[in-house]
Amino acid sequence: MKKYYLQAILATVLAFVGTASANAQNLNDEDRPDSIQELHEVTVTSKQPLRTIATSQTLSGADLQALSTTSVADALKYFSGVQIKDYGGLGGLKTINVRSLGAQHVGVYIDGIRITNAQNGTVDLGKFSLSSMESVSLYNANKLDYCQSASEYASGATVYLQTRRPTSDSLSVQLRNGSFHTWMAKLNGQFNWRGWQGFIDGEYCTSRGDYPFRYHSEYEDTVGRRTNSDIRYGRIEGALFRGGFSSHIYYYDSERGCPGGIVRRLSDKYTNVGREWDRDFFVQASYQERFFRRLLFKANTKYTNEYLRYCTKYPENQNTARVDNHYRQQDVYGALCAAYQPWSWLSLSSSYDARYSILRADLKRFDDVKRVDQKLVFAAQMNWHDIQAAVSALHQRYSDWTFAHAGAADPLDRWTPAFSLAYTLHDVTLRGWYKEIFRVPTLNDLYYTQVGNRNLKPENTKQWNVGVEYHWDNRQRTTDNRQRSMVNGQWSMDFQVDAYINKIENRIVCLPLKGTYTWSMMNYGYTYCRGLNATIKGHYTRGPWNFSLLNSITWQRDVDRTDPEDEDMYDKPICYSPTFSTGVTAIMGWRSLQFTTSYLYVGERMWSKADPEDILEPYHNIDMKLSYTHHIKKTSLGLCLEVCDVLDIQYEHLPRYPMPGRNYKLTLSFGI
Amino acid sequence: MSKKHLLTVVCCLLSVVTLAQERIILLNEGMWQADNGRITYFEDGTVVSNQWFRDKNGLKLGDTPNDIIQINENLIAIAINWSNVVQFITPDGKAVAATEDIPNNRKLCSDGKFVYVTSYGHECETIDGTVYFDKGFVAKIDISNFKVTATCEVGYEPEGIALYNGYLFVANTGGYAGQEDHEYETTVSIINANSMEVEKTIETGVPNLYGEMSQSGRYLCINSPGDYYETPACGLVFDCEKALTSNDCFVKFDYPATYNTTTLDGKFLAVGSNFSYITGEYEFSRLTIEPWTVMKTRGQSGLEQTMPGTLGSDFANMEQPYGIYVNPYTGYIYGTDAGSFEGAGYLYQWSPEGQLLGKHRVYINPGHFLALPTEGYFDGIGGIDNGQWTMDNCVFDLQGRKINGPASNVQWKKGTIYIKEGKKYYITK
Repeated sequence: MKKYYLQAILATVLAFVGTASANAQNLNDEDRPDSIQELHEVTVTSKQPLRTIATSQTLSGADLQALSTTSVADALKYFSGVQIKDYGGLGGLKTINVRSLGAQHVGVYIDGIRITNAQNGTVDLGKFSLSSMESVSLYNANKLDYCQSASEYASGATVYLQTRRPTSDSLSVQLRNGSFHTWMAKLNGQFNWRGWQGFIDGEYCTSRGDYPFRYHSEYEDTVGRRTNSDIRYGRIEGALFRGGFSSHIYYYDSERGCPGGIVRRLSDKYTNVGREWDRDFFVQASYQERFFRRLLFKANTKYTNEYLRYCTKYPENQNTARVDNHYRQQDVYGALCAAYQPWSWLSLSSSYDARYSILRADLKRFDDVKRVDQKLVFAAQMNWHDIQAAVSALHQRYSDWTFAHAGAADPLDRWTPAFSLAYTLHDVTLRGWYKEIFRVPTLNDLYYTQVGNRNLKPENTKQWNVGVEYHWDNRQRTTDNRQRSMVNGQWSMDFQVDAYINKIENRIVCLPLKGTYTWSMMNYGYTYCRGLNATIKGHYTRGPWNFSLLNSITWQRDVDRTDPEDEDMYDKPICYSPTFSTGVTAIMGWRSLQFTTSYLYVGERMWSKADPEDILEPYHNIDMKLSYTHHIKKTSLGLCLEVCDVLDIQYEHLPRYPMPGRNYKLTLSFGI
Repeated sequence: MSKKHLLTVVCCLLSVVTLAQERIILLNEGMWQADNGRITYFEDGTVVSNQWFRDKNGLKLGDTPNDIIQINENLIAIAINWSNVVQFITPDGKAVAATEDIPNNRKLCSDGKFVYVTSYGHECETIDGTVYFDKGFVAKIDISNFKVTATCEVGYEPEGIALYNGYLFVANTGGYAGQEDHEYETTVSIINANSMEVEKTIETGVPNLYGEMSQSGRYLCINSPGDYYETPACGLVFDCEKALTSNDCFVKFDYPATYNTTTLDGKFLAVGSNFSYITGEYEFSRLTIEPWTVMKTRGQSGLEQTMPGTLGSDFANMEQPYGIYVNPYTGYIYGTDAGSFEGAGYLYQWSPEGQLLGKHRVYINPGHFLALPTEGYFDGIGGIDNGQWTMDNCVFDLQGRKINGPASNVQWKKGTIYIKEGKKYYITK
């Protein structure tokens, strides 16, 4: 039973953790305190036919926990092709951009159900914790599974967060103290009882975030401390699973300051005082069942309720309008998917998704906006001998209703295709894919007071990709792998490289209007991006020792192709897009002592095209993490020290928004 | 021997060349919160520097410079909005002083002794302590110590400011009406510059008097972008002289004057767009306005939809027109194109007849100009007044700047128009 549902539900995700599972297998039973690893043992036998056809990267299990991370954003920065935008500090908005498509083209999914924000289309990854996650995966284009909902096909790049299914009962508490007056407490309880599994994970954190910064150049020496950069948040979530059923409930409540860019001021008298409150709630459930061996059904449902308050109505605020705005968003979602496998090598599937969103805000000249978004997909996947192919056609229809000033935008109706083809020879897979997708203008883009433009067209993307993937491990060469690996140690290696071309048309940007003082959302611009992503993963385990090396490399050239006559802009690199970036993570473990070093290099990038001097300097960032867990019978006591930005290199993702320099975290954990 | 000759020739040439005619200081606003406001210095057809302030001072200017004026022959003031700084520099670019006593400063004017600053903010640090306001205010800075000596509350979000005959004329916008609890302002506040008290408030019936506000002696050119929804953009010709005695002192015309300037012969040149969020469309307009005719005929004539030479079509071809300016000393015309939002803008130069002379790459969002006098222009004008000075008998140029000293001391420049007691004088010899 256990084996069955794991294969059915977690098939794809688990396939990617093959390498990690190798470690798990090798551990002695007494040394295996963590339930994660037990899961892996099952997965080794699970063979996912379309494993390598999609371009994907995964961090899971031990590797994921070994990284020095506080949120999902921290983990994603080690992926190839990813650019993080971070306004700095614990409370600063964190979004990711994959292969320069733009943050709004990245779909983020928890257990296959998309986290949406109809208002602005981006997901703040800082709000999601890794503590309840089994794996984080990034798929360029989309994941390819036998039975997927239509919305899983509907973004240019997809991030999957897979929650962990507990396999035993446990309770753990964590207490953390970090630099800049940061305190965090975490509680996690999980159970596995008569086929039901579940967990509750709660976290509370407060941070003053008053980190020091310095801007030093020949014409400036600005030293200060970040102000209004504090945050406090509480998060509580729970999940319940049984067989093909999974569910998740989540609540997040925060208050934070919104610091601005560091600009010339004569004193500290006037600083940004705006504050933001968020309350996010969602509950989701999914059920999957197989009938007559060849028919697979899945149903997803979700309800989201988000509240945001932004306030600048303070006497200290001299610089901006004094507002106190409240935004409320609700979202109801349902999806039905069906897949049929007439032969074992062919799968046909279809899915229909519907989502109803409503946005309310007490802005002037704003009225409730309702959006119905329907998606239908037809997909076929084939795995015939060594050839794998997938094809899908997605239809999306958006309709809005509002009495806001200009009325609702016209409904949008469009089909978009995607094709993938792969050929596997022994351990090497060659693949190629093409995907066309668009992002619809968000409700802010269309209706936001004094900016929105109801005539916006969707932003179109086209992606071409060719790649090769190679997997090797020394257990494949022997029938009695356990015995052999015990003697010689266990090696595994994964390598993949993908070359890609992306084109984006009708970019949705906010522009000042010709000859007026106002700004408005507009469709403007065409970009062309060529790039190369490579990842190498190696694992070696022998006796109580294990070593991992994860490396990702991104090279890309993202240029403006809007106006051939504009020599300043045409064929010039897009702002914020580095040509080269790389990340290396080395993990060394000995019994329950673990040491991780992560190194990240991001090359120089422009932040404006007006002057060659307008660049963000390249930066090197090194994080280190040392953790030790002591087990006494069933209880465990852990101690973890993290040093982030060891070199204390102050860098920026956005000009004048400094990131914190070197900082420390000390975590104490106790579990039974 | 030949070397000596050559040297003589070179020296002669240099002495001719160094007498610069066109000297323009241009403010590039930069991007909001990126701290990259910059000054372009342009001299006789060449951009000397796109980071002039930094070159001269080894300092960054700040975030979003919004206005620049000349106070006297030794002093220039710059309002740096997001930095909350009013920066004083000498005409050769050296920083003299800076004050952050007026947060959210917007526009400037001066009578040579005091600088008057409009502000959207609600507090001001003065010599008598901190003063608080519900709405916006005007601050009066004494340039002898760069301190605020007096303030005056006006409407919400006051923008343009001009000095005429001892009175300050302030265009109120209520620009935060889109977000805050108040409505757009429709008034012009008239303040006695001496006592800093509101003398009178003129109701124009036109909302949001936002944008550049040019002065041609007694006349002002005021823009209204409307409310961007139902109320369309328009422009006003405002007669300061009349306003002091009557409420019937302005004429509304149906074209916006988003960016405007005063020509040597006292007309206004304006370019602008009428935009509505409802339709999402805009109409571009270009105007030459003869304010005295507009006033006299109640707008029936004096308004032409043309501009000198190729000015109109050049502006229409720009990506984002961002400023227009006539050098008050020479009549050369300047305009800026902010281009695309993340690239450099361009400075255009036209002859006084409107013939395009050149296009120069500057920096991000170039929009505010100041012409320095042609070299030698200030010769013969006495130093700053020692406090004895009154408004009577003073002479102003067409930008409303006081020409120092009593009329008898001024060395008149031929072919230029001056204002005295509300009347225009054209110097013929």
